Amino acid sequence: MTVEEIRSQFPALAQQVYGKPLVYLDNAATAQRPLAVLEKERTLASTVNANIHRAVHKLAADATEEYERTREIVADFLNAESPKEIVFTSGTTMSINLVASCFGEAFIGEGDEIIVSVAEHHSNIVPWQLLCQRKKAELKVLEIDEFGGLQVETLQKLISQRTKIIAISHISNVLGLVNPVQEIIRIAHHNGIPVLVDGAQGSIHAKVDVQELDCDFYAFSGHKVYGATGTGVLYGKKKWLEAMPPYMGGGEMIETVRFSGTTFAPVPGKFEAGTQNFNAVPTLQEALRLARQFQEDPEVAQREWAITHYLLEALTADPRIHLFGVPRGTQVKVPLFSFTVEGAHHEDLALILDKMGIAARSGQMCAEPLMDRFGVTGMLRISFAPYNTMEEAEYFVKSLNKAIAMLI
Amino acid sequence: MSLEEKKQAVIEEFSMYDEWLDKYEYLIELGKALEAYPEEQKTEEKLIKGCQSLRADSDAIITKGIISLLISVYSGRTPAEIAADDFGFIDQIGLKENLSPTRANGLVSMIDTIKWVANDTAAKEKMADQVGHDDVVIPGSTGNLSENVLTAEDVAALQPLYADVILALKQVYDPEIPVNIYDLGLIYELNIDKDRKVSIVMTFTAPNCPMADEVMHEVEDSVKRVPGVTGCSIELTFEPVWDRSMLSEEARVDLGLDYEEDDYGKLS
Repeated sequence: MTVEEIRSQFPALAQQVYGKPLVYLDNAATAQRPLAVLEKERTLASTVNANIHRAVHKLAADATEEYERTREIVADFLNAESPKEIVFTSGTTMSINLVASCFGEAFIGEGDEIIVSVAEHHSNIVPWQLLCQRKKAELKVLEIDEFGGLQVETLQKLISQRTKIIAISHISNVLGLVNPVQEIIRIAHHNGIPVLVDGAQGSIHAKVDVQELDCDFYAFSGHKVYGATGTGVLYGKKKWLEAMPPYMGGGEMIETVRFSGTTFAPVPGKFEAGTQNFNAVPTLQEALRLARQFQEDPEVAQREWAITHYLLEALTADPRIHLFGVPRGTQVKVPLFSFTVEGAHHEDLALILDKMGIAARSGQMCAEPLMDRFGVTGMLRISFAPYNTMEEAEYFVKSLNKAIAMLI
Repeated sequence: MSLEEKKQAVIEEFSMYDEWLDKYEYLIELGKALEAYPEEQKTEEKLIKGCQSLRADSDAIITKGIISLLISVYSGRTPAEIAADDFGFIDQIGLKENLSPTRANGLVSMIDTIKWVANDTAAKEKMADQVGHDDVVIPGSTGNLSENVLTAEDVAALQPLYADVILALKQVYDPEIPVNIYDLGLIYELNIDKDRKVSIVMTFTAPNCPMADEVMHEVEDSVKRVPGVTGCSIELTFEPVWDRSMLSEEARVDLGLDYEEDDYGKLS
């Protein structure tokens, strides 16, 4: 697909801001949505709008079919063994909270340990902190080196008899480096410890195969892969999902309810209490189809590589700029760049770039421990999607230089 | 120039710039000039200190530009004049709506602090007039009067520390109620003196609380761990006796109390 063909599918990209063409470089926060997804949501809301899994009438049956077909498509997208291993949530945050809460309830007690990395998003830190507070367990932290690479060689030492789960991001939302999750999972499993992979960024850029990874849980958000907001996925190995207690109580997650006691629906229904987001979830059918198409298209890969290469050059050649997350050796970097500029505050830069039409992110990026690790109060981040062009990357570099000149 | 005239002058100045980047250029210039402001003068300028004590955005030059703008408008005005002002001119020059939402919030909190300092100073001046002293002692402080006098600058500079101490207090929970002691309303007084010593007057929900000692220790530990705090003393009181009306809004929601009370309200 040419980039023009891709762009024509995303109506939001055609707009102007402050009289300038929009250059959307905040894709790591949320991606724009293609026509197929927008159309799907509208069609669902205006035709098969009925609550799923309940009534026998035609609309309810059709809506349920749309919802359950999506489960199959998601299972296929992740190469899960069975659709029963796919739980729909509101997003990555809820997926991780669900595991922290339910896995924690079943398997974590006083004095047990959980390992996360210092480069995690708050959503993969705070749920575990809350669990540790509840259970009097301890949170241990895997460190990174100065380039942003995980110190996997220290993992074995961090692991103890009491380690019960390791939670790690596939790709950091700040550093943009693909973490050696396969290696981490191998070490963890060698010690009999399950691993949760936060795939909020990882699900976007490369094909995910949960069987090949052999991860125990994989979490991602629909809106970052071109789907509707409020959709999310938790993949969990069946043996874990079955061993975990339910998350919320309510309708549809039950088998029988008596005041003497209640039995629960088989997985994944046990974890989907209450009315589900049935107008939004089926947009994942279209979103994941497109995401997969992007992931398999050599033209897209070529452009992505060229943009990454160009920006790596541009941002490391300028001595005023400090780039965080520099790939070394065979490490893969996705087109996501966080950096600081000496003498120019990240928020000032973002404000000026905004007026030039560029949507960039500034601040802590929901990763305060990582900001502390590097001794900064915040960074500027740009993140690219397959609809971004090389011209936009060049315009960004030019605009950044202009903004720096204004400030210094 | 009166406050109104000065505000009009700023509004006119801003209307000259069509392009947003030009407005930013102007603010950056103001921000840089503020950076170069001599230390000695800063202490004389109440508003600068008040503004600069806001930590979050103080490194950002455009924020400094806005601070500088506010100073040029409000410095030299009486606290009563500032306290009565609605700060609406910021909207008129388009700053509030055109800055990013997070930044706009920073701007709002900056204005709140200026108003807070102004209100506080105005109130103290009023008290001083009534008592007949120049300096006014913060209520609750003891010991040598002159040493404990806080100026408006001190109060503003201590603001971030107050926020941190409150956060620390919110980490301490009543052992029997799933609400932190701050939102429960157990803290009657919180004062931080010039030496950054914290003094707290607190109570318990019941006079014979068996966990009182343990909770007080926890409060002390939690407060002492706050960076910048040099000490913490706690005084226990049961005057007035704690009741439900002292719960914060948050705590009421957590405990589901509003519903109950509404229900009673309807019945009676």
